[in-house]
Amino acid sequence: MKILSRPLLVLALTWPSLAAAQSGNVYIEDRLNQLQQTITMMTGQLEQLQYQNQQLQQQMEKMRTDYDFRIDQLEKGGKGGPRPAGPGPAGPSASPPTAPGSQAANTSTASADQLYHAAFKMMQDGNYAGAEKDFRTFLQRYPKHVLAGNAQYWLGETYYARRDYQNAMTAFAEGYKVYKTSPKGPDNLLKLGITLAVLGRKSDACAVFSRFTQDYPHATDLQKRRVDQERQRNGCG
Amino acid sequence: MRTMKALAAGAVLILMAACSNSQQAAVPASTTVTPGSVADFKQNVGDRVYFDTDMSGVRADGRATLDKQATWLKQYTNYPITIEGKCDERGTREYNLALGERRANAVKQYLVAQGIPASRIQTISYGKERPEVVGSDEGAWARNRVGITVLQQ
Amino acid sequence: MMHFRHLRTMLCAAVLAAVTVPAHAQLTIDMTKPSFEPVPIAIVDFAGDPMGAQIAEVIRNDLQNCGLFRSISPGSFIERNVNANAAPRFADWRGIGAQGLVVGQIAQVGGNIKVDFRLWDVVVGQQATGLSFNSQPSNWRRLGHIIADAVYKRVTGEEGYFDTRIAYVSETGPVNNRTKRIAIMDQDGANNRYITDGRAPAITPRFSPTLQEIVYMAYADNNSPPKVYLQNVDSGRRELLGNFPGMSFAPRFSPDGTKVAMSLSKDGNTDLYEMDLRGQNLRRLTNTAAIDTSPSYSPDGTQIVFNSDRGGSQQLYVMSAGGGGEKRISFGDGRYATPVWSPRGDYIAFTKIMGSSFGIGVMRPDGSGERLLANGFLVEGPTWAPNGRVLMYFQQQPNSSGGAASLRQIDITGRFGRQVPTPTSASDPAWSPLIPQ
Repeated sequence: MKILSRPLLVLALTWPSLAAAQSGNVYIEDRLNQLQQTITMMTGQLEQLQYQNQQLQQQMEKMRTDYDFRIDQLEKGGKGGPRPAGPGPAGPSASPPTAPGSQAANTSTASADQLYHAAFKMMQDGNYAGAEKDFRTFLQRYPKHVLAGNAQYWLGETYYARRDYQNAMTAFAEGYKVYKTSPKGPDNLLKLGITLAVLGRKSDACAVFSRFTQDYPHATDLQKRRVDQERQRNGCG
Repeated sequence: MRTMKALAAGAVLILMAACSNSQQAAVPASTTVTPGSVADFKQNVGDRVYFDTDMSGVRADGRATLDKQATWLKQYTNYPITIEGKCDERGTREYNLALGERRANAVKQYLVAQGIPASRIQTISYGKERPEVVGSDEGAWARNRVGITVLQQ
Repeated sequence: MMHFRHLRTMLCAAVLAAVTVPAHAQLTIDMTKPSFEPVPIAIVDFAGDPMGAQIAEVIRNDLQNCGLFRSISPGSFIERNVNANAAPRFADWRGIGAQGLVVGQIAQVGGNIKVDFRLWDVVVGQQATGLSFNSQPSNWRRLGHIIADAVYKRVTGEEGYFDTRIAYVSETGPVNNRTKRIAIMDQDGANNRYITDGRAPAITPRFSPTLQEIVYMAYADNNSPPKVYLQNVDSGRRELLGNFPGMSFAPRFSPDGTKVAMSLSKDGNTDLYEMDLRGQNLRRLTNTAAIDTSPSYSPDGTQIVFNSDRGGSQQLYVMSAGGGGEKRISFGDGRYATPVWSPRGDYIAFTKIMGSSFGIGVMRPDGSGERLLANGFLVEGPTWAPNGRVLMYFQQQPNSSGGAASLRQIDITGRFGRQVPTPTSASDPAWSPLIPQ
């Protein structure tokens, strides 16, 4: 096929017969369509392979952290024991001591992640007391972790969901003070204002909302809209 | 050798044109239609080609029809052409609009390759909005995956 | 005709002081729980004006239809002539099984009406919420929806979605020559009106964020390809969006309303473009030999999810809103179409084509957590309620049975489905944001 195409193309360009030129056109059109189909097919296969590769990597990562944990336990003379980050953290003797902010934070990333996700899962399941406990543990152990701002925010939410607005306010206020630049910062500030409003502290709520624009100029439109709605709802000037 | 092939192709085209003319005489039903009329095109040439599910490539049976269309259209050059692309009901609205457009364009490209000027041909997609055949079985769907060459008068 | 600007000034809401001291109330629903009973709620005809019975009926319908409440029949109420400004006889309401009680009072103030409403938590015997509105009398239906939204929000903790509109395609006539007109109605089916005349088919309407305009695709009277139009809802004035030789379709507003993403077809190839509405300049977003269509912006406007067959079959892809960084997110069995990003950003709804049936489902924006909520011979085109917790889509009968289409609603747990009443056969619903107050 490949050898054929060039002479035919030349022919189509030079031969005066219309019929020849036309069949040449059809031929080129066909070839292009075939090539396009091949590219499409390969694109699909590539996407599938990339996806499978990514799935495999995630699986391997999971397995690796599991091995690391077990080996770690064995080296410490433990018994291989239960997997980390079950509900309710193991006592201080079982968990590796971590100095906040030191390089230990790096090696303990896996168990920090697991603790966070276990807490988050409890939150989603409506086990707010359990989630509160684990988010607190997480914040105590990993105050500089990249998810610490998120944990602080969700800690507030565990109270808010239980209508414990006083503690919710404290948690959100803490989040604003300590984790102002966290990705959850804008949500945290918004929720602080809403909680204040629920507590009847309208002027404080308005003061909080008024900080939003200057603190988070790059907040999403949705977040900005929410703040505007809350400002209106609470009659902020 | 290539020359031979090209000549042969030309000969086939001429033969086919002759065939379609003689066919006219042979089929009794078509004696009433005026050669060169829209009815002539629909009855004696065939105004539509069908596509496989989700596909927009012109099939072998469609090529035969489009070859005949090209010959006829070169003889009767007074009609501007609109090619309508359509889809069966087994797809989503917006995607089917694009698929219908792709089908209409496949027909157009084939006719252009056969020497019909592109400027003479418009395309329009009806997606699944205006089925040719009302029905919900494979027979109906097969006839709704279609590219129709419509002569403008 | 709805005049939004008037509403903005005329509809004033204020929080009503509680009659008793508020405490932690029991009247709540956690929508994420796997199972629960609808909350029994009694809505008393509002006192002070005959309009009060109509407003109460709007609230009853809204709450009953959302699936989370059971509206107790007014015939079984024990306490009559409830004073809207005093505590009700809670024992009477507990006696008929009510957990919530909605009461209201209407007063004439000049040419306007003042409507006070309170939601009582019957179980603990306290006021759960109370609001006061000042508005033109003609807004009575909207007041009902706004009050239903307040009740919904107080009980579920989620924003309501009753004070909204639906744009859709009204379909009449035979399957092979059907008249398709764009219509707009209130979320509960009231105030239906047509905004295209039906001479040429018009489909795929979408609201602008302010609800003042819609975009849609329409065929022309002559044989030229269909195009995207922008139409002012109140004035009816419409303009062609851009002037391209081929077909333009699948238009969607950006969340800030300044841009419209859409598909343009040229030589059989369909790519996505974005038009800036202020300058009318066009920016190309995709460039493949495949079909790229059905775009939908993320609520923060930074990403677009769309439909493409570049890999051989219809799948969902996410890219940056300016184009580039395309990544496929759908990898399940079957084909995927019409992705729609939730206004909350947490899910993407889609149509799924699986052999002989179609489904409506949701997945997270990274493609994980796929869940099907509905299926049928042909279900298509999900659209989100502004709270991101309820979807509407359309279901179509096979063409052999007449091809009638109807709008259906379902919540994202898949528990509460219902048909949305429309005057004619209806397809392609688009749910508006909350109407600006």
